[in-house]
Amino acid sequence: MASDPLSVSIDFETSHLFFPHIVHWVLAGLFALILVTKVVPFLAAVKRGERTLPIIGESRDSARFFGTLALISAYFYLMAVVGDLFPYTGYGFLFVSMAFVLAMSLMYLHEWTKKALIIVVINAIVAPTLAWFVLAKLFTITLP
Amino acid sequence: MLTKKTLMSVSVAGLMTGLALSSSVAMAQDAQLRGNVRVVIGSTSTGGDTYQNASIVVDRLAEHLGLNMKVDAVGASSAFRTLDRDSRGNTLMIFHDQSYLGYLYGVEGYDDVFENYTVGPTIAINPGNAYLVPMDSPYQTLDDVVEAVGNGETVRVAIQPGGVSEIGYSALKNAIAIEYPGQEENLVAVNTGSQSDKNQQLFDGQADIINGSVQANEQYTRLPEDDQKAMRFIWLTARQDTIEQAPEEGLGQTSREQLLEYVEPNVTVSMGDDENFTFDKEFFFLYNKDMDQGIVDQIDEALAEIYDEGEIQQAQLDAFFIPDFKPSAEASEYLQEKMSRYEEIISNLD
Amino acid sequence: MEFLTFIDLSFLMLVSFGTLVGIIFGAIPGMTATMAVAVCLPLTYALGLNHGLALLLGLYVGGISGGMVPAVLLNIPGTPSSITTTFDGYPMAQKGEGEKALRVCVIASLVGGLVSALVLFLFAPLLADFSIKFSYVEKFLIILLALSVIASLSSSMLIGIFSGVIGIWLSLIGDYSVSDGGNGHTRLMFDFMEPYLFEGFSLLPVLIGIFGISTILLEAEKGVKRDMAGERIKIGKEGGFSLSIFKGSFTNLTRSSFIGTFVGMLPGVGGSAASVLAYTQEKNLAKDSSQMGKGAPQGLIASESANNALTGGALIPLLSLGIPGDSTTAVLIGAFTLQGIQVGPLFIPENHDTWYVMMTALVLANFIMFGLMFFAIKHIAKVVMVPKHILYPLIVMMCVVGAYAINYGIMFDVWTLLIFGVLGYLIQKIGLEVAPLIIGFILGSQAEVYFVKSLESFGTYSIFFTKSPIAMVLWGLIAASVLFAIVMGFKSRARQKVELSQMHDPSHTDSGAHHDSRND
Repeated sequence: MASDPLSVSIDFETSHLFFPHIVHWVLAGLFALILVTKVVPFLAAVKRGERTLPIIGESRDSARFFGTLALISAYFYLMAVVGDLFPYTGYGFLFVSMAFVLAMSLMYLHEWTKKALIIVVINAIVAPTLAWFVLAKLFTITLP
Repeated sequence: MLTKKTLMSVSVAGLMTGLALSSSVAMAQDAQLRGNVRVVIGSTSTGGDTYQNASIVVDRLAEHLGLNMKVDAVGASSAFRTLDRDSRGNTLMIFHDQSYLGYLYGVEGYDDVFENYTVGPTIAINPGNAYLVPMDSPYQTLDDVVEAVGNGETVRVAIQPGGVSEIGYSALKNAIAIEYPGQEENLVAVNTGSQSDKNQQLFDGQADIINGSVQANEQYTRLPEDDQKAMRFIWLTARQDTIEQAPEEGLGQTSREQLLEYVEPNVTVSMGDDENFTFDKEFFFLYNKDMDQGIVDQIDEALAEIYDEGEIQQAQLDAFFIPDFKPSAEASEYLQEKMSRYEEIISNLD
Repeated sequence: MEFLTFIDLSFLMLVSFGTLVGIIFGAIPGMTATMAVAVCLPLTYALGLNHGLALLLGLYVGGISGGMVPAVLLNIPGTPSSITTTFDGYPMAQKGEGEKALRVCVIASLVGGLVSALVLFLFAPLLADFSIKFSYVEKFLIILLALSVIASLSSSMLIGIFSGVIGIWLSLIGDYSVSDGGNGHTRLMFDFMEPYLFEGFSLLPVLIGIFGISTILLEAEKGVKRDMAGERIKIGKEGGFSLSIFKGSFTNLTRSSFIGTFVGMLPGVGGSAASVLAYTQEKNLAKDSSQMGKGAPQGLIASESANNALTGGALIPLLSLGIPGDSTTAVLIGAFTLQGIQVGPLFIPENHDTWYVMMTALVLANFIMFGLMFFAIKHIAKVVMVPKHILYPLIVMMCVVGAYAINYGIMFDVWTLLIFGVLGYLIQKIGLEVAPLIIGFILGSQAEVYFVKSLESFGTYSIFFTKSPIAMVLWGLIAASVLFAIVMGFKSRARQKVELSQMHDPSHTDSGAHHDSRND
């Protein structure tokens, strides 16, 4: 066994790093390959003006995109904050979800007709209430 | 466009202020549990003994106090963290000896519970912590194992490292060190995970002894001898006194009488100074350090009344747990003493 | 036949109710079969063992099946095991064949469920003895085999493998868990992250974040246009479903059902590996698998029959070893302990009636699932008719509930949604691939444990080749799978070249690095 070139001994104290090390080497190798075969030709194409860089070089609806990010972040954050005021009742989820669903629907809605607005408002009130009632009340799932 | 924005911000701001106002009412606290109470446990399993124990106690406590209480199996690291954040008494925790054994073994994520938390009342014991060998093992008793290791034979024990599963192994190692100094190196731990992993190590012949439990392994001990899965108990770590309180019919087809064969004084593991090692896996409450003493007392009193009624004991016994109520002050002192005994064993081996 | 006395009207009602609730749980992105069983577990105390099991098994079968709905219609796997259903289901839905896709799924699910129930009934103890022949080494090879799908899944093999390895890397973040026999130390993170990431990222929030939230971000970027919403899926006769789709699928159905049962049977090899493995094998072994990943019913058949076959498979070790085969059966074990019933190698011989009751409930639940789903599909498929400005906020809300509830109330799991939503968005933008990455993530941590533990036990790499005949067979399959991927890669490159010379379109020269063209 001692002469076995494949033999390996793993120290238990550092065994948590054994597999990650292997993964790191594989990642580095693959990355180098991709750099050479894909990224370099791609960047050359960008330079020649044939291709555009992802994200930076693209057009986007910035208001809705960043609005979505901001709204989701605020939603997650406030849910915990409000939820902490009413420990383990799920009110944090309930109330903040109503505000979130309303705000996000309004942000995505293109034509603000009366009918559309009514649907949006009703949805923002009914849907979170229903979810809260069924999950937190009937199934006693802990919600923020 | 302006109106759209206004409507949106009003919808958000309106709700926020409304919430902030109404919440000040709920903030007022005195020294009683109120509102909804969440009991987090140190295990992620809803099929395990911690959950089962917690739900037996919490159901009755909720009824007794007229509160909504819910057990959530969030796991040790998350449970401690959740408890850290809430000193109002809306979050309580139930866990077992792992809470301080993890600390003694230096497992990441465990701190000294006696320093960082208030230790609450104990509620029950799981008497089932056991060590098993294959049915056809050459080792008939634990003494055979000690002797074999003392004579230089390597014996491998499959355990889950860093806690309840390891403590018996450490004690055994310590006992060998006392009787056969220097030979304890021949007892080696096979670090593995769940019960199924430990069993698998035995089936694969990668371990000679496994840590297990009466509940999980009893049926394996009743398999016919030619079944490769068949096992035998060789040691239960519980005190004799603990097993004596178990129901007479025992568990499955193994009676209390039979179980008593595997505890002291029939099976002994020396700790030196004429003392024998025993380990009962005890379940107890843990509270946030800053939680009001009023709530500590309230839970103590409520549990005392519940245990006086006597119904809870039957429920615990039916589930093969030994009722074990000690109010928080007593429990804290008792567990601290228990910890210092095990600390000695673990530090002896370093 | 004494057990028949237990089967009364309330028994049937409970199975039906359980199946219905399970389907609803499974169909909501973020809610899973495991969660459905967990929340209903306390109810079983009052119901008694037999009726309790009727409810829980209904929930189990329903929950696993329900996962197909969001997978096909919204490209969000409702449960982790329906991930491969999205590969072909969503492309079909985009082509307007959502209803047809769902019908294919339902039938495949029924077949998978019944096959596994039959296997469970006939061979449980025998198979349990077989399953314990799989030690760490063989389990590692099974995971490796499932991982090998990555190579053939992506348009560029290099990018696919790279994405997969990133997924594995992400799954290693956190502690090397003591409960897997690790040493409990954390790695791949900074100290300040430890309070949040001690246990790493949880699978479900990662999954719904990377599929659900990133889809919403990509849509938001485009301004959430109103168009398409209604037309995207054609309802009614245009769905074009007929049983003839299943013509020639007999092998696929049988193979996938058995793979599902088999993977379910191995304790510790997660349920999601079942559908991935079945998908891999169909891709490798089918006569023509060129359409898989672009909307081929055969992919759906493989995925759904395998994930429903999990149910019977996972019950095998539970009932004949006392060891749960997947996360749902781990919760199910609570129903037995609550009633004071031991599960272990002697469960079946000692509890004949309960055993027959369970089998009846399992088979019934599969038929009820079929009945409920097959005829409700027409209405379910209308989900996509809901305008996006209504649908998207609700998806986010339900993802939040699911993420928060999966580990019984952890706020960081909700933030994981956003983290992986943004990550998923970036990944698709820079041309990496989501599917291999997520498969890497699902299987990565198991691969680690089995790999490291094998080496700890045997101390040599050669053990992976010499351990047992089973290991050799698995290596054969892995080699075949990789070889196949390479051959396919060359073929598709050759085809691309031909297309290229015909089209002279520069934007197709480099499908890998510019994968995002699909999203423009």
